[in-house]
Amino acid sequence: MKTFLDFLRKYNFFFLFLLLEAVSFILLFRFNSYQGSVWYTAANNTAATVNKLYYEAMSYLNLGDVNGRLTHQNTLLTQENAYLRARLGELSHQPTPTELNVRQTLANYKLLDAVVVSNSTKKTNNYIVIDKGSSDGVRPEMGVVGGGGVVGIVYLTGPHYSLVIPVTNRKSSISCRVRGLGFFGYLQWSGEKLLHAYVNDIPRYAKIKKGSIVETSGYSAVFPPGIFIGRVNSVGNSPDGQSYRLDITLGTDFATLRNVCVVMTPYQAEIDTLKAHAAEQDTHDALNGLERIQ
Amino acid sequence: MFQTILSRIGWFLLLLLLQVLVFNHIHIMGYATPMPYVYFLLILPSNTPRWLYVLLGFLLGVLIDIFGNTPGMAAATMTAIGLITPLLFNLFGPRDQDKDDNILPSMRTMERWPFVRYLLTAVFLQCVIFFSIESFSFFNWTFLLINIAGSTVLTTLFCIALELIRKRP
Repeated sequence: MKTFLDFLRKYNFFFLFLLLEAVSFILLFRFNSYQGSVWYTAANNTAATVNKLYYEAMSYLNLGDVNGRLTHQNTLLTQENAYLRARLGELSHQPTPTELNVRQTLANYKLLDAVVVSNSTKKTNNYIVIDKGSSDGVRPEMGVVGGGGVVGIVYLTGPHYSLVIPVTNRKSSISCRVRGLGFFGYLQWSGEKLLHAYVNDIPRYAKIKKGSIVETSGYSAVFPPGIFIGRVNSVGNSPDGQSYRLDITLGTDFATLRNVCVVMTPYQAEIDTLKAHAAEQDTHDALNGLERIQ
Repeated sequence: MFQTILSRIGWFLLLLLLQVLVFNHIHIMGYATPMPYVYFLLILPSNTPRWLYVLLGFLLGVLIDIFGNTPGMAAATMTAIGLITPLLFNLFGPRDQDKDDNILPSMRTMERWPFVRYLLTAVFLQCVIFFSIESFSFFNWTFLLINIAGSTVLTTLFCIALELIRKRP
């Protein structure tokens, strides 16, 4: 017995070795597949803290990369934000009665919504740029209308943008008439005030009241007849004294113009004009016929 | 005595932290991982009781396992190395000394080449045991051999580096 104890004492390290080896293998078999032990989890909190410190230190080294990616993403998101904001502005846009009227007049026409991306109002010859171009089907000589009535005529088209000559350009000359009376003339911008335009060549015998509506005549293929342009402010003499000149207050506020529509059916206006003339002719003939009968 | 214990604790913590924070993240070519924590056992004074070798080896191994998420592997390895190290020291250590003499194993006290052989043998055994337990089969034996060889070389290099740094002051 004594020798056995001596043996134990002498080789205690070996028994300790066996014991600890056993513990190690228990750990090995136990926790390699199952790590949910309380002891191990508690111990691992410390390990996790140390490992976290390590990864925090490592993350500093990646900051340059991360920063680049964030900047890129930020740019993309800013762009998206601006785009969505613009879309929201378009969608929450409340139509005015005139706009509803214009829309009704143009119900049979294909309209293309566009947004004004560049606009000038301070020059003698103003131009507007809209964000639709030839790839969207816009062609020169198409009419452009807005919420307040006529805006202008497409002059040049690029693939994605178009240049519009608005009413507030001295080169612009849109055929128009006084609603209900039929006297027609050509709309000319005054060049002084933004919303101020003239209609020349109104005959002397026309009795035009202040506040009468001036609309498109339909004598060109650009605009269909009956689209609001503005109201008569006063009636004056033309410079040559041969006829009246109407002072018009334009319906479209060019200073705040944003959403416009391009009239996409180029020949429809012509057709409608012809139809209107035919109908006039019919009533005229019918009246003549009535007179003959009587 | 107290100072010795403090310096041993210092070595213990230093090697533990080095392993956990630096060496565990080195995988050269996916094979070689340096594991120089075995150095702690190798430089224990020669008159350390053998049970203390085993116990300290186990403790260091368990702590490294906990941080490295390799439960039991380093513990089993280091316990075994703790058992073997005194034998290796007897094998490679100076012969002409008394058994009760307290020798701190180093390049100075053991000469250069015996110490390197002592180191290399211990590291090799450590790597063999560790990677055998890790793979736990000899199915993919080429991979295992490359692992053992690469890690042995790398660990030995790091241990020699530590030894050279320690020798300076």
